Amino acid sequence: MAHRSEDRTIAYQLISFVFAFMLIIFLASILVTRSLYHDIMLDNQLDNMRHLAHERIYLIDGILFRVESIARISRSVFSDYSLTDDERAGFLREILMENPQIHSICIADKATEGKPPLVMFTVRHKLTEREVPGHSYQYADWFQIPFITEEPFWTEPWVDTDGLGELIISYSLPVFETGVRTGLLRFDIRLSYLQELIAGSSYFKVGSSFLVSTTGTLVAHRDMDLVMNHTLFSLKQEYSEPSLEKLGYAMISGEQGHLKINGKSPFGRSWVYYQPLLSNHWSVGVAVDEDYLMRDVYAILMIQTVASVLIFFFVAIIIYARVLNVSRPLKRLALAADRIGGGDFDVQIPESNKSHEIATLSNSFISMQASLKEYIKNLRITTEEKNQIRGDVIFASEIQTKLVPSNTKHPCGVKELRAYGILEPAGDIGGDLYDYFMIDEDHFCFVIADVLGKGIVAAMAMTMAATLLPSIAPHVKSSNELLKELNSFLCRNNIESNFVTALLGIIDLKTGKLQFSNCGHVPLYIRKMDRSFTKYGETHATALGVFENLNIGYDELDLTIGDELILYTDGVTEAMNVDEEFLGFTGLEEILRKLPAPNPETTATMILESVHHFARGSSHKDDITLLVIDYKHPGFLED
Amino acid sequence: MKPFRQCLMAVVVLSVVLLVSCKPDRSRLDDGHIRAGKSGVHQDLFRIRYRPKWQAQAQFAGIYMAESRGIYEQYGLDVEIQGLLQAQDAIDSLKSGTSDVVHLDLLRAIDVLRDSTWITNIGQINQKNAILLVGKRSRGINSLNDFKGKKLGEWRSGSYLITDIFLKGSKIPMEIVPIDGSINLFTQNVVDVVNVMRYNEYHQLLQAGIKEEDLFVADLSELGYQIPDEGFYVSKEFYSLHPNECKAFVDATMDGWLYAFSHPEEAIDEVVKRMQQDNIRANRAHQRWMLDKMKEVIMPIAGDLGKLKKTDYQNAIKLMTEYYNFTRDIPFEEFCPNGAQK
Repeated sequence: MAHRSEDRTIAYQLISFVFAFMLIIFLASILVTRSLYHDIMLDNQLDNMRHLAHERIYLIDGILFRVESIARISRSVFSDYSLTDDERAGFLREILMENPQIHSICIADKATEGKPPLVMFTVRHKLTEREVPGHSYQYADWFQIPFITEEPFWTEPWVDTDGLGELIISYSLPVFETGVRTGLLRFDIRLSYLQELIAGSSYFKVGSSFLVSTTGTLVAHRDMDLVMNHTLFSLKQEYSEPSLEKLGYAMISGEQGHLKINGKSPFGRSWVYYQPLLSNHWSVGVAVDEDYLMRDVYAILMIQTVASVLIFFFVAIIIYARVLNVSRPLKRLALAADRIGGGDFDVQIPESNKSHEIATLSNSFISMQASLKEYIKNLRITTEEKNQIRGDVIFASEIQTKLVPSNTKHPCGVKELRAYGILEPAGDIGGDLYDYFMIDEDHFCFVIADVLGKGIVAAMAMTMAATLLPSIAPHVKSSNELLKELNSFLCRNNIESNFVTALLGIIDLKTGKLQFSNCGHVPLYIRKMDRSFTKYGETHATALGVFENLNIGYDELDLTIGDELILYTDGVTEAMNVDEEFLGFTGLEEILRKLPAPNPETTATMILESVHHFARGSSHKDDITLLVIDYKHPGFLED
Repeated sequence: MKPFRQCLMAVVVLSVVLLVSCKPDRSRLDDGHIRAGKSGVHQDLFRIRYRPKWQAQAQFAGIYMAESRGIYEQYGLDVEIQGLLQAQDAIDSLKSGTSDVVHLDLLRAIDVLRDSTWITNIGQINQKNAILLVGKRSRGINSLNDFKGKKLGEWRSGSYLITDIFLKGSKIPMEIVPIDGSINLFTQNVVDVVNVMRYNEYHQLLQAGIKEEDLFVADLSELGYQIPDEGFYVSKEFYSLHPNECKAFVDATMDGWLYAFSHPEEAIDEVVKRMQQDNIRANRAHQRWMLDKMKEVIMPIAGDLGKLKKTDYQNAIKLMTEYYNFTRDIPFEEFCPNGAQK
């Protein structure tokens, strides 16, 4: 789509170019800056996240290991000392009261003997104890897993329906007596206690620590709607974010590292550092929002952007002002050029010394102005001369036209004949000629001729022939003799040595006898009333005006009623189409076959139209001359 | 004294009038059931106490939608969805009259009829069982043959019968470890193989970070043990007194299921809302999976929605006879008056 010219001012183009260039540099610098600073900032922040995770792990592992240690000591006391049930319960009561991080203790040390487990917990510093009814407890994870494996076990969070109905995690370890597993001891910690420890980190303003169990369950997170409802894998399913699954596998596998989480999940657009707990193999994660992590980089990029915009703005103003100043002489120059274009060649061209280029341009304009003035002066003289010559040529053309007989129904008033002639010069004047005149009362003479070449010289030669023939015809009365006289005349007076082809015939009106001579001219055609035609192609001599003692022969034939003589010049048969093919005699005869009944005017006109049709689109031009005469057409009898 | 008596009389009359006007629009029926008139609804509703098999989850989405969308009311029912009564077995609930309608596994329902036909199937929810036995490939379980001699965590109540029959029928000896609903014995490698429902525990395993490709799965329904499980059961006495209400309950519930399947997100919203009210762990991805898989077991093929098929019943009787010493011949029409005769 074309721009309007005012949009493409020099200022516009310069500013656009500078803008595009600066934009590329700006984008490149932003990418480079972001890339370089991103890694540096990420390394720094990951160090902070690592420290934070270590701190949380130290706190939580400290508590869990302490609980494990208390549990083992308790079990050792049970196995090493012969304590009664009351003494065992009393020992554990002491432990519960002295260790506030332990929420409750369950004694199921004689489960195999059918003794129901006893849960003890404190409510507002007051000890409460409760027996666990039924046998369903044997199918709870805290009992079943360590009981079968005979190994200590940290449970996933579960609701303690036998205690205060809170979410707890339990450390259960099997109790043996004389090498036989008799039951379990269970030490519980409130999950909320661990959640408080995790939530206690406030190093980052935007970000949080979280805790993931061995099944990938989110057991601690600042978004409580996620806690115990979601695993990292269910979040992956919910938000279709593969990086969450990757994080989940890494965390439940006890790996340590960091990962970028994408998507729109609660962890979306954040970096997560993760490391496992040593006690129960859960994993601590620290998630920090990407925007917060990169806030310094973004600030640098923002400053860079604002600075770039300001620089561009000022550069654009400077370019605009300078271009306006420099282009002022150009505008004056353009105005002067407009006036020269309007014909005012004397306008004062403004001169400028603002820049070398503009001064050069002004000088070139001044030089061009002088040249134009001189050129216009010469052009005016040449045009006047050309107009003079043109006038002469038009005058010559009019004379030539008047030399050719005007078309009348009966030529020279002879009722036995009808004739129609057409002379169509290629230029203003031509070298073709046709003429007819009465030699005496009974003899009608006609001639068609073609001078080699065109223009004035050919026309002059033709004019001489046209003038000579009627003047000598009454004394000669024979076609070959007439042409011989013409040949002698041309040889004597032919300045340019132009030769002339001619076909001259004499019709005896009384007898219908036709005598004709063809000197190098194209053949004569005679059409009968039945539309058949005969070609008379024999020539009786070469062209006239070349050899002074030229022998010229003739032919005689008897015309019958309605015979139509068709005479023409080579402009007809040498007419050329766009493919540079000549019409030729074949083409002409094709035209003759399509002609209606003989009638000189119709015949001449239709042949001309057909030739024009054949040559349409061609640049080739030659004089075309046609003369058609018919003899004693039936119309004659009517007249 | 007279004015005092007049005042006393007026208070008594007013109290009687108030008591009469405040009495709920309920009428006790011959069997002791109540027709309850709900405010704004001018017809009497028949009250049914329904006990779900488990705590709130998408396994019961059709029932929740039938209740929340007023489908039960349109069928003339006032359905009370009871909370989970862990201490009481579903059979005991029916025996004691605590519940009118309970959820039972078909094999389990047949098993309790060894002496007399005292319960009746009024509708069959699942047309296909969804029980899978899964083992970890990392523990060397890659075929059924690898099950032999391994520990199987099997539900101690509910749908264990089909698993036992499968093991007997396939001659696969395994050490049975009775479990409740926990998957942790499996994740902690305490058991090698575990009994799971495709719509529930199987997906819990996936959400606990176990990859599907790491599991060997034996689908009992594809191994020649295609016995439909969950159905609605009432006492025979209850059915004889309220056959139309029983049919209405089943029809309304299945309408609820169709609504849930055609409006899954709305159904999941309702399920999650109920789970949160009951303080149950809930995530939409799991409930969406469960609803999707329930559709596969409730509508495995078109037609006979909610009806027990005679052929399924006969297959179940055959298995119980062969593997569980069941000796009675209970006609299908007696066990399931509204069943499909196929």
